[in-house]
Amino acid sequence: MAELNSSSQLSCTLNSACDCVHVLSSMVEVMSRRAGLNDRETNRVVLAVDELFANIGQHGYRGKEGSIEMQAEYDGRSLRFEFRDYAPPLMDEGTLQGKLMDTGQVRPGGLGLYLIDTIMDEVRHQTLDDGNRWSLTKHLQEGTGE
Amino acid sequence: MKLEIMEHKLDAASVAITLNGVVNIHTAMQLRRRLKLLLDDQYKEIRVDLGRVSFIDSAGIATLVEGLQWSRGGGRRFVLSGLSENVRDIFELAKLDTVFDIESGKLSA
Repeated sequence: MAELNSSSQLSCTLNSACDCVHVLSSMVEVMSRRAGLNDRETNRVVLAVDELFANIGQHGYRGKEGSIEMQAEYDGRSLRFEFRDYAPPLMDEGTLQGKLMDTGQVRPGGLGLYLIDTIMDEVRHQTLDDGNRWSLTKHLQEGTGE
Repeated sequence: MKLEIMEHKLDAASVAITLNGVVNIHTAMQLRRRLKLLLDDQYKEIRVDLGRVSFIDSAGIATLVEGLQWSRGGGRRFVLSGLSENVRDIFELAKLDTVFDIESGKLSA
């Protein structure tokens, strides 16, 4: 399921309907620590990736089985996670905007997207003919782990 | 991934539940059902100990928001406690740390 290309790259293919988010979380944690993130930032990035995986499964594949390919890599400047799915487009091209909310506005998907957008420095979505491509990027600052 | 929910009746008017595990999209419904049952029991105060929660996602937080809304709607108190540094950080990111009644330390049930 998972393929380690080098110490700075990792890829895997997951089933959107399985309770395997802990596998994904472990991989994200490994990559985040290798990239030098501290505990707090690692926890945040794990959450952001978890939220995207859950959103694709729940809203893209609508709870049914579907393939989600993930590739993670980092260099000295950034940590990046790319997702490829084969679900119908979730949103218009290029849009992924978190919305501030109060307790009356929390709704499925909304809080997750807000957290992704808040945690990651760059969030990109591309509509493809047969699915979607997502890219989450965290910029790395030398020495601080943040 | 599992979530264990243990219930402790504190007195006639208040109850505490201790969560142990992960509160995420797969376990949030289990928590939601338990909170609904507690609200049906007409307690005046519901306390939720998150001291053994290793990870919470937006589905988990949204479920706690529901519990808060249900409680306030019925004039009840809804209290969170025992949040780890990482769990508290997620509440802060969601800007919900000031919305909830959050106590430091674990509940003495």
